[in-house]
Amino acid sequence: MAVFDTPRDAFGALRPACVQLTRVQTAENVCRLAARLAAVSGPALQELQEYVLFPLRFALRAPGPRRERVVESAVRCITSVLAATAVRRPELLQELLSELCACLSPGPAAPAEDVKLAVIEALRTLLHSASGDVIVCLYQPRTLPLLGCAVSLLLRLAERERAKQLKVSALNCLQVLVLQCECQEHQPLGDDEAQRCGDLFASFLPGISISLSRVVTGDIKQGHKPAVAAIRLFYLIVGLVMADAQLARVPKSKEKLPEKQSRISELIIHRGPDWSKSTAENLSVLLSKMVEFSSVHPHWKVRLELVELVHHLLRNCSCSLASSFTHLLKALVGLVNDESSEVQSRCNEVLQGIAEQRIIAQSRALADVLSENLHSLATALPRLMSSQDDTGKVSTLSLLLGYLKLLGPKINVVLNSTSHLCRLSKALMQVLELDVTDVKIVEDRRWGCEGSLQPGAQKGRCQRKYFRFFTEEKVFQLLQQVCRVLGYYGNLYLLVDHFMGLYSESTMYRKQAAMVLNELIAGAAGVGVDVLQEREVSPSMDDLKGSITSILDEYTDQANWYLITSIDTEEVSHEQHPVHHAGLPARPGGMCSTILLPSPELHATTRTMNSNIWQMCIQLEGVGCFAAVLGMEFRLLLLTALYPVLEKAGDKTLLISEAALGTLADMSEACGYGSVRRLINDNSDYLVNGISLGLRQLAQQPRASRVLDTMLRHSDASLLPLVEDVIQDVLSTLDQCYNSQASTFLGVLHSLMSALVQWFGSSCSEEQQQQSTECQGRTSSPRPQAVTTRDMEQFFLNYIRQKQIAEGDVPDSEDEEADEAPPLAKPEPNNCETEAAAPLPSHAQLAKDVLGRCIHLLSDRSLHVRLKVLDVLELCVTVLHPHRNHLLPMAHRVWPALVTRLISDDPLAVLRAFKVLCTLAQKCGDFLKPRFSRDVLPKLTSSLLSQAPASARAGPVYTHTLAFKVQLAVLQGLGSLCEKLDMGRSDLNEVADACLIYLSAKQPRKLQEAAQSVFLHLMAVDPDWTWLLLTETCCPHGYEPPHTSLHPVKLGGMGRQRNELTDNVLLLLERLRQRESGAQEPPP
Amino acid sequence: MALPPPDPQFVLRGTSAAVHTLHFSCGGQEPDVPVLFSGSENGLIHVWNLKTHRVDTALDGHGRKSVYCVETMGGKNRLLSQGRDQRICLWDLAEGRTAVMDSVFMENVGFCRCSLLMVAQGRWLMAMAAKALEEVQVLELPSKTSVCTLKPEAGAKLGMPMCLKLWQLSGGSQPLLLAGYEDGSVVLWNLSMGKALSQLACHQEPVMSLDFDSEKAKGISGSSEKVLSIWSLNEQQNLQVYKTHNLVNAGISDITIRPDKKIVATAGWDHRIRIFGWKKLKPLAVLDYHTATVHCVSFSNHKNPRERLLAAGSKDHRISIWSIYTQT
Repeated sequence: MAVFDTPRDAFGALRPACVQLTRVQTAENVCRLAARLAAVSGPALQELQEYVLFPLRFALRAPGPRRERVVESAVRCITSVLAATAVRRPELLQELLSELCACLSPGPAAPAEDVKLAVIEALRTLLHSASGDVIVCLYQPRTLPLLGCAVSLLLRLAERERAKQLKVSALNCLQVLVLQCECQEHQPLGDDEAQRCGDLFASFLPGISISLSRVVTGDIKQGHKPAVAAIRLFYLIVGLVMADAQLARVPKSKEKLPEKQSRISELIIHRGPDWSKSTAENLSVLLSKMVEFSSVHPHWKVRLELVELVHHLLRNCSCSLASSFTHLLKALVGLVNDESSEVQSRCNEVLQGIAEQRIIAQSRALADVLSENLHSLATALPRLMSSQDDTGKVSTLSLLLGYLKLLGPKINVVLNSTSHLCRLSKALMQVLELDVTDVKIVEDRRWGCEGSLQPGAQKGRCQRKYFRFFTEEKVFQLLQQVCRVLGYYGNLYLLVDHFMGLYSESTMYRKQAAMVLNELIAGAAGVGVDVLQEREVSPSMDDLKGSITSILDEYTDQANWYLITSIDTEEVSHEQHPVHHAGLPARPGGMCSTILLPSPELHATTRTMNSNIWQMCIQLEGVGCFAAVLGMEFRLLLLTALYPVLEKAGDKTLLISEAALGTLADMSEACGYGSVRRLINDNSDYLVNGISLGLRQLAQQPRASRVLDTMLRHSDASLLPLVEDVIQDVLSTLDQCYNSQASTFLGVLHSLMSALVQWFGSSCSEEQQQQSTECQGRTSSPRPQAVTTRDMEQFFLNYIRQKQIAEGDVPDSEDEEADEAPPLAKPEPNNCETEAAAPLPSHAQLAKDVLGRCIHLLSDRSLHVRLKVLDVLELCVTVLHPHRNHLLPMAHRVWPALVTRLISDDPLAVLRAFKVLCTLAQKCGDFLKPRFSRDVLPKLTSSLLSQAPASARAGPVYTHTLAFKVQLAVLQGLGSLCEKLDMGRSDLNEVADACLIYLSAKQPRKLQEAAQSVFLHLMAVDPDWTWLLLTETCCPHGYEPPHTSLHPVKLGGMGRQRNELTDNVLLLLERLRQRESGAQEPPP
Repeated sequence: MALPPPDPQFVLRGTSAAVHTLHFSCGGQEPDVPVLFSGSENGLIHVWNLKTHRVDTALDGHGRKSVYCVETMGGKNRLLSQGRDQRICLWDLAEGRTAVMDSVFMENVGFCRCSLLMVAQGRWLMAMAAKALEEVQVLELPSKTSVCTLKPEAGAKLGMPMCLKLWQLSGGSQPLLLAGYEDGSVVLWNLSMGKALSQLACHQEPVMSLDFDSEKAKGISGSSEKVLSIWSLNEQQNLQVYKTHNLVNAGISDITIRPDKKIVATAGWDHRIRIFGWKKLKPLAVLDYHTATVHCVSFSNHKNPRERLLAAGSKDHRISIWSIYTQT
């Protein structure tokens, strides 16, 4: 485009336009010149720079009222000239500067916005076009007034103008003027130059900073750009003038300027200590205002700029502006959680940078500021936490966390001050206060033995806690981080000591202190802690171990570990001992749910119990956490830690047992045991030791038995030798106190026996099956396939013989009992012989020992104990049954007591005892036959008979009564009993008689079915007899004799009216027919 | 009212046989774990780690015959054990080895425990019952050369030696031997002259165990009767009865004076461990835990007094560990 390359050509082209403009200053003329200029090349224009500028400047200075169009176009033209050329003469620069400034001067005839904009643009271009050495000349003390004028004009624009663009460009221009332009054309200032400029700008600092702060805190509607620009300018200028590096080099006394500049020298400021101190104070006020305003500015760019401000000032002025950092750091730390991710990430970067450069660590002043902030925040924390909403809490806490993180290793300075530590810890104690009003926690119980460990089912995760002052999970996480960061940087011994002090100081703080301690340790080990800088020295394993050991000792101390967590503390046997809880108004079962108006006293206890439960859980979590921290090293602590945890795993309160199981999972993982089962198995020696010692003290017996219980439930047969050892202890302890502790120990014995059944059950049941198949074989094999006349003959012969025997051909019927046993034991003769020689396997020996104790306890006064004994008894029989030689004598010893239970006890006990009887019969076979038919059967049948009318009459509610359950159980069991014991005819008659009435349609459905089952079993024993019996009651069709020589068959049931029994009898006969199916006809 | 007797601090299980002898070795420096050696009826010597309370190794060197004496020679890496297979084995346990380096065959079939005394660095004297019924033989270890054989005068009718205790005055070069005999008498022997210096009939029954405090020149012995006998040695090397103490139940199987000479522990046939003050034999405690005869008691030699322990081994297969230092 450049047409005129040489100055000569250009001059020729431009001259007319210049002359014209000089003569008449109109916008058109200016435009013409501008058009010509466009065709002139840069180098050529450079030569003609001043020539061209002259008419333009003249146009600006023209006397008389200013014509805006002319001014504007002239300014634009100047701008274009300056953009293409460089200003090489300092005087020109100054002149132009002052002339342009004059255009902006306020007055009655203030220029229009466009003009101002153009002028500002021109100024900016001017400053950029000045070459390096030229521009330096501008910043001399003598130009100070000029600069001051420009600065104030620009500030005025920035502050007063409405137009956003104008404001922004004024600020940008100012930025260039104070040599903080971000464009590349400017070379960075050398140290000396910067120092000189700093001296100069110091004069403007008050004006600039006040105006800028006004801009920043001005109307929100002005948009974010002016604010951003103002903040940037602010920190640039402050960062320059107040730079630590510069202030450090300021000479003690003010420099003397040459004489003639004395007036100017008054304007120059000496940045001595006094000045910097007072300036810092003033700035601090401004900064706090700005920070306060812009940290909540709706636009994120403003907040981002604020981060930059803090960063810049922190980097350059950390000493001179120390007092301002209270606000600055607060803002910075607070912005970590900004909603804008840009701000967040930048903020984190800055924090990271601060930490990495150890700005805080090196500056005492900053550390002091931070610790002061921390102190005041800690003081306000409880109040804030109770008054703020959740977002407010989050920001407050992230502030706290930020301070701690920033302090980093300097935390110790803070912690060493007692008042700081106290404030902080008290604040944590109050904030972490748990909500302990939930009744459900106390109510939730662990029932039975379903608490066994599903492998890997529960990792040791924390239970959700409910806090008094917040609900948000995020808040808790922040608090957790706070504690961990403390642990990470802080002096572990000091902290642990302090919080242990709080722990033991008051029950109010105990839970919180434990929580904090747990997190401290995690933090100290660097687990799950998020920090800005690495600590210098991490605590050694020995330190950790030392701290953990002392905490662990405190946790598991009797006073802190055995807390009242439920009313029915240990025993379920409260039914028998209501005296124990006489002071309490209600039975545990209905304690909280059924009472409409709980008394205040009860309420309080619920509260404490809830609190205790939580404390337990927190402590258990702590143990898990310690294990995770120490890893394999924790194995050594298992000696002391495993037993108490296991104690809690058997706790009746659901929450505690869950927490303990979680802890066990943590421990097994930390110590490298694959599973909790292995953890328990491998450390059973420790447990057994604890149990055996625990058993020695009456008060600890229930707990010891609970551990044993848990241990048994979670381990396997490999444990047997150790278990045996401790069970001997249990038994001997039991022997010493049958009265008081029987119930507790029965619990243990029960779980022992169930464990044995489980461990050795397969071997038991195998033999059992073998036996039962044998049994079946025996009963079914002799049955002929078809009846021939020979068979029939044989049958009658046998019958006669049997009858003779029955009538007394056998001399001594009493011997029968004794005689019977040996042949009946014969089915497994090999087994018997080997057993007699070989000692009993240890599990069977255990079962035998336990069985021996059970005999004594069968007649205990407490029903509860009796019921438990019966359960244990049944299990013992199951375990012992492969060893008949041992089982039978024991059965003999058990018998009298069992009979008493069966015939004269509470129905509940009868029910249970009958179950035991069935099991016993199954295992012992016909060894029991005479005893049963002599001692028990009459009683059973008579009770069945006497109860029948009642049940026949009863309504539907009857099926829920105990009487019904006993009836049902007896009917259900009786059939198989008869079969197993191979009962004699007369006994069978008795049974059949008693059961027949239950076939009545009037009886409840279930009883009818049970009665049917009895007859089905009877069919298995003796089908013919059963058939006869049934047909006596009801016979659907007649029978023709096969031969005329035989009498016609006359059966009792023939031709009877249909009655209540008919349906069931017909059904049974049909089943009998199916059973005897094939070619076989019913016997005549 | 007196405090209830304490519980054991820990009970070691797993020897699966009656425990006959115990010996602590806790003197090592820090990384060294304190250990307890136990010898049991099934011929095994168990090395218990007292940090983990578990068996580190089980040494099998007596052909499954009962081990009834275990001693360390210097550190815990050199071990001497005596078994019913009539052998005294010297073990090298350094760096995890479990080898019998050397052994001495005893011709005596009794169950008199041998006694060991270090006379110089790497030189020990060992007294043991000799082949002849009433004799005691003293050997030098590790060379196994016989130093002397102590024969009672003809017609003394002491019976078999039951327990031995070699001792010497601190720094004194003259090792002496105290031996308890079947007839209930305790005899002081001079090894260099090979002759009895003094004889004292302490008990009616065989002396089961004795221990001697060379500082106070006072010893204590127990037998199968209900009496503990304390005797002293005067300057003329004469033994004289100082005091007797009557027990409730008869039978003492082991007596040990604590290394600091403040208390004495006895292992009783009545399943109990008794603790007495050594000065006046004041009964201090009855430790009741075992369910069968206690065979042996032993004090640990740990450097830190708070970690010193008492161990007792019993016929019920258990070893109970007691921490009585903090309580007495």
